[in-house]
Amino acid sequence: MSTIATLRPHQREEQTASVGMVVFLASWAMMFAGLFFSYGFVRSRAGAWPPPGIPVLPIALPALNTAVMLGSSLIFSLGLRELRRGNVRAFQRALSVTIVLGLVFLALQIYVWQSVSQAGLHLNTGLYGSVFYCLTAFHALHVAVGLVILMVVLARSLLGKYSEHNTISVRLCTMFWHFVDVVWILMFVTIYLM
Amino acid sequence: MELQAIHKEPTSFLKRYVFSEDHKYIAKQFLWAGLLFLAFGGILAMAIRWQWAYPGQEVPAVGKLLLPRSGGVITPAAYQSIFTMHGLIMIFFAITPILIGAFGNYTIPLMIGARDMAFPKLNMLSFWFFVVSQVMVLASFGVQLGTAGAGWTTYPPLSTNVGTPGHGQTLVVAAVFVTGVATIMGSVNYVTTVIRFRAPGMTYMRMPLTVWGLWLTAILNVLFVPVLGSAALLLLMDRMMGTQFFIAGAAGGKGDPILFQHLFWIFGHPEVYILILPAWGIVSDMVCFFGRKPAYWYKGSVYAMCAVTILSAVVYGHHMFLTGMNPLLGQGFMLLTLIISVPAEVLFLNWLHTIWKGSIRTTVPMLFALGMIFVFGLGGLTGVFLGTISTDLYLHDTMFVVGHFHFTMAAASFLASFAGIYFWFPKMFGKQMNQTLGKWHFWGSTIFITLVFGGQMIAGYAGQQRRLFDPYQYTFLKHLHPLNTYTSYAGFALGLFQLIFIYNFVASILSGKKAEKNPWQVSTLEWSLPSPPEYHNFDVVPTVIRGPHEYANPDAIKLLGRDWLSQTEILPEAGAVAESEVTAGAAE
Amino acid sequence: MLANRVPRILLGLAAASSAVLTALLATAAPVQELGIGLPRDVSVDGHRIDWLIKITGAFTAILFVIMCVWMALAVVKHNKDHKAEYDHGNAKHQVKFAAALSAIIFFVVDGNLWVNSTIDVSSAFWNFDMVEQQADTLRIEINAHQWAWDFRYGGPDGKFNTQDDIVGMHELRVPVDTPILVHLASTDVIHNFYLPNFRIKQDAMPGMVNKMWFQSKETGEFDIACSQHCGTNHYKMKATLIVMSKEDYAKWAAESSAIASRAYAADDSAAHWGWEWQSK
Repeated sequence: MSTIATLRPHQREEQTASVGMVVFLASWAMMFAGLFFSYGFVRSRAGAWPPPGIPVLPIALPALNTAVMLGSSLIFSLGLRELRRGNVRAFQRALSVTIVLGLVFLALQIYVWQSVSQAGLHLNTGLYGSVFYCLTAFHALHVAVGLVILMVVLARSLLGKYSEHNTISVRLCTMFWHFVDVVWILMFVTIYLM
Repeated sequence: MELQAIHKEPTSFLKRYVFSEDHKYIAKQFLWAGLLFLAFGGILAMAIRWQWAYPGQEVPAVGKLLLPRSGGVITPAAYQSIFTMHGLIMIFFAITPILIGAFGNYTIPLMIGARDMAFPKLNMLSFWFFVVSQVMVLASFGVQLGTAGAGWTTYPPLSTNVGTPGHGQTLVVAAVFVTGVATIMGSVNYVTTVIRFRAPGMTYMRMPLTVWGLWLTAILNVLFVPVLGSAALLLLMDRMMGTQFFIAGAAGGKGDPILFQHLFWIFGHPEVYILILPAWGIVSDMVCFFGRKPAYWYKGSVYAMCAVTILSAVVYGHHMFLTGMNPLLGQGFMLLTLIISVPAEVLFLNWLHTIWKGSIRTTVPMLFALGMIFVFGLGGLTGVFLGTISTDLYLHDTMFVVGHFHFTMAAASFLASFAGIYFWFPKMFGKQMNQTLGKWHFWGSTIFITLVFGGQMIAGYAGQQRRLFDPYQYTFLKHLHPLNTYTSYAGFALGLFQLIFIYNFVASILSGKKAEKNPWQVSTLEWSLPSPPEYHNFDVVPTVIRGPHEYANPDAIKLLGRDWLSQTEILPEAGAVAESEVTAGAAE
Repeated sequence: MLANRVPRILLGLAAASSAVLTALLATAAPVQELGIGLPRDVSVDGHRIDWLIKITGAFTAILFVIMCVWMALAVVKHNKDHKAEYDHGNAKHQVKFAAALSAIIFFVVDGNLWVNSTIDVSSAFWNFDMVEQQADTLRIEINAHQWAWDFRYGGPDGKFNTQDDIVGMHELRVPVDTPILVHLASTDVIHNFYLPNFRIKQDAMPGMVNKMWFQSKETGEFDIACSQHCGTNHYKMKATLIVMSKEDYAKWAAESSAIASRAYAADDSAAHWGWEWQSK
């Protein structure tokens, strides 16, 4: 058993919250796994992929989005580290950048949807359209919800709620954000690259 | 490991009786909600049995009220809704809240020595999300085209808006999604609480088997309910947003109905283990508590439950043998399905060895536990016929399947639930239930459950398919009318015997005899607390020094004059003071 | 000591007598009035399934009876007046015994199932290559839809969706002692083509073609049923299999094909629901 001297304040509560978050994220991962399974299943049983007549998906913007997500995750992690050291201002700056990058991601994603839709790929353009929009929209929904939570956290931080003695909520948010990032990477690889 | 501080009981009415965050209270909320829908699902079953005994005849008493447009007669359209909702309600809205919602919430913190669940607010939310899903189910019955009707398995294309138009089916699929969210919330709590809040000395291998069953169930819930969520999401998108995941054939789509079956059964097979693991855990403990013997090969039972948990995900294809799957894939699923019967064999042997050479007290919980072993033996053994491809060629989608899963899933979980209710009732409500009425309830339930589900298996063996509004349309099934009628009588009798329980349960809560701290003389931690326990459970977090099944210990008999040792008491040297509890190390 | 052996002797007797009883029950003729018993089997391969069901039934019945006797004895003999034995059951020899017993039961019961199913499925029930290669195989396309079965024969030209196709509903006529190879499809929801007197069934899936084959040893009329919930009239989705002598069938087929040819309407696309036969 650790002695008090080697534990950060509230570390035990943070560990419990983290365990809960891991379990929660495992659940979420399995939901995405169901969707990825569907994607793989549909694709393996289709002849050509994409099916003839379907517009080709862009790669450049989604690749940029991948960089955006990775960057946001990195900066957010650094922000948490600053918070743990007591540098609240630095944490708030990092969190703001993370939120901006998240918004950039969503904006680019909407742009990609618009351009693909103009080229003729819609939600009900066969299985291909259904799967593409379902996966990317479901992920984007998680980014959006995550952003709302991050904005609430930023607001509360500006009100002085978070410090090196109170990092649990922020830690949970970073876990969720990293999860959303990893899901995006998998999605980028399977939908756009493969 | 984390220790929880003693938290004060809230004072406002809403926080005490509506939005309570106390796991013990939430457990009772789940129990009531589950029992209510158990009655609802049971009534739907009575309707099915009525139709098979008296096809085309007006349902007595309530017929004209519930089926006004057909003069009280069950129509084919009404019939398919009845069997669909019977299945969905029993699985998601009856057994789940009782075995997992109620017993999980009540027993886990108490049995591991914790003061509450890891996330009390989340716990409260899980109940209210569940209530929302129940309301959605009820609402679906009032919709114009009726409620869902594609079977609980909801296979597309029948379950798409082409096969089953209307808002009822959509509402029900959405309700299943919402109840899945509630389940996941609860399961996050159970998994985390067991990992983090076991009392000092409560190693995994000293946990009661009830907790093992519930913990493994929670892990399965966490992993596989979301897969059902993804299937439900795709189906809802097909129904509401024009996607084509599952729509094929003349409806014009290039979707694949088999995709749904994969997703559904990747959830569906673990789900049946989700429903039985708590029952196995409870029964494993009961045979020790009332056999007054240690658990025979405790570790073997733990390994068996873990093995079933792991294997449960890879056997699901046996539900799909006849979909035209690759025979090699079918072979693989068959092999794994047969293998999963081995851990269950180990559990059975352990139970049988535990009670052999015991000192069996035929209390009401013990009778229900023995009854569970009996019906699960019957049901489990019939599983091998269905897990084998060649015999499944004949038995697939017959009443044999229905009998199999009713014995294993309904009968076993049902009897185990009652074992749990009669057992923990004194702790939960501080009163005793009437034991004589309990025994009547037991005998009536077990005998008639065996007759009803046995009748189903005989009908299936004769070739009767599932889900038939009127089986006697077929030449090869005409002669089954007497069998089905007698089976229905057994079903009605089963229903009537539950009235004994309803009376006993309610009357005992209102005016039952006051219960002592440990009326069953049992060793697990909750029985060291008053009945009912304080809001914060333990004044002093216990230090555990042994497992939960120390019965018939010769030293205890010699030194203490009783045949059981609690998990915390130190066995004195000969002549010293009987009991002492070590206070926990200072919480940080 | 005999006192210790007595319960084992009793158990042994119980097991032996239950085994004999179960074997008798398993091989007994069906009791139609009580609803007990399999439908009459008129197929060439159905007996394999029947045998496997019955022998597994015997095995499992024996195990179940032993379990019940064990439990009853325990409750009666080792009741609250009996002194419980302090045994954790985790000694090496006990664990080995439990493991060994589980293994034996598994290899006997499940092993028997696995071996026989593998043989039966690969050499008979799903051995479509064998049936495709036989010269006298009769090929039939079946279209399932809410709530009836449509049958299509290729006719004398052996090709489907041509002028000489015989198309019918409600009655499927086939010759006796002839392999009947069925390709199944559905145009709406999932159905399942079920022949109780042949012990087999197969899903009819929209969007794919599934296969099934059977051969009758007897002439007569038998039920065709739907075995997958497909909507309100699932219970009425039935048809009749009429097994005729080879001569009678040949006569019927020739006549029907001639009538169909004369009635053929080239522009009635709905009637040409057949598809090109895929042998693989």
